[in-house]
Amino acid sequence: MLLMTVARQGLCLSRSQFGVLYRHAVPMGTTAKEEMNKFWAKNTQLNRPVSPHVSIYKWSIPMMMSISHRGTGVALSSGISAFALAALVLPESYPYYLDLIHSMTFGPQFLAFSKFALAFPVAYHTFNGIRHLAWDLGKGFKIPEVYRSGYIVIALTVLTSIGLAAM
Amino acid sequence: MYSCAGLIVYQKNQDVEPFQMTARRIHAASSHSTVSSSRAASKHWMGMAPDAYLYPGPLVEYSIAAALTLHGHWGIGQVLTDYVYGDVKVKLAKAGVLLLSTATFFGLCYFNYHDVGLCKAVAMPWQI
Repeated sequence: MLLMTVARQGLCLSRSQFGVLYRHAVPMGTTAKEEMNKFWAKNTQLNRPVSPHVSIYKWSIPMMMSISHRGTGVALSSGISAFALAALVLPESYPYYLDLIHSMTFGPQFLAFSKFALAFPVAYHTFNGIRHLAWDLGKGFKIPEVYRSGYIVIALTVLTSIGLAAM
Repeated sequence: MYSCAGLIVYQKNQDVEPFQMTARRIHAASSHSTVSSSRAASKHWMGMAPDAYLYPGPLVEYSIAAALTLHGHWGIGQVLTDYVYGDVKVKLAKAGVLLLSTATFFGLCYFNYHDVGLCKAVAMPWQI
């Protein structure tokens, strides 16, 4: 690791056009977080409007998958928290409530659909999570790779959800 | 891509081979906990799933409760970092999430102890 840091410094000193990127290597009086907070405080205080960004940029598959990863994550987390809090608050036990749902006259299609609806976000978040872990290892950043891995995640998600709903 | 934008920008700007070092430092500075620990939590959580299926029981159930709550806690923390600005708001939001995660963990452990447990909780709806 030391060798890579030294090597990188040696390589970059010889490239004058990258000098501008290292101006921030000089120790400053404020942290990045402080700078960010200052930016937001100043601009909200001046009531400056935010330029359109999400509303005008053309949506792509990677963009949609990224926000879906966040969306499924928040949804699953909320679901787990709701389940945990319900376990603390509700008087009866889990089998009781399960029987209650079972006794309601829902058709088998509804039960299969609800299993699918539960399995889908779990499967998507899991497979896309693996994709994220691969990125953390530095793998799969080329644009064709990003799209290919994305399609694989979607395919696996649909197949797994159907498989789990059918069980 | 939300958390990976920094990595991609750095890959484009530098042809220098070891870009991962800089990128990881930038990423670590902006995330709530260290990158490696949140990644370890994700992998740990993934490893639990086959355990839950093959060896259902109290050990797995409590480990799942811990791993799941921790992973969710750090995840929501990253969402907060992205959307909440200002010292006071960030502190309040982080405190709220900590409270929620603690309550969630407590609730899951309570469920494991007093009720059927997480493994059976997933198995039972599928046996209807």
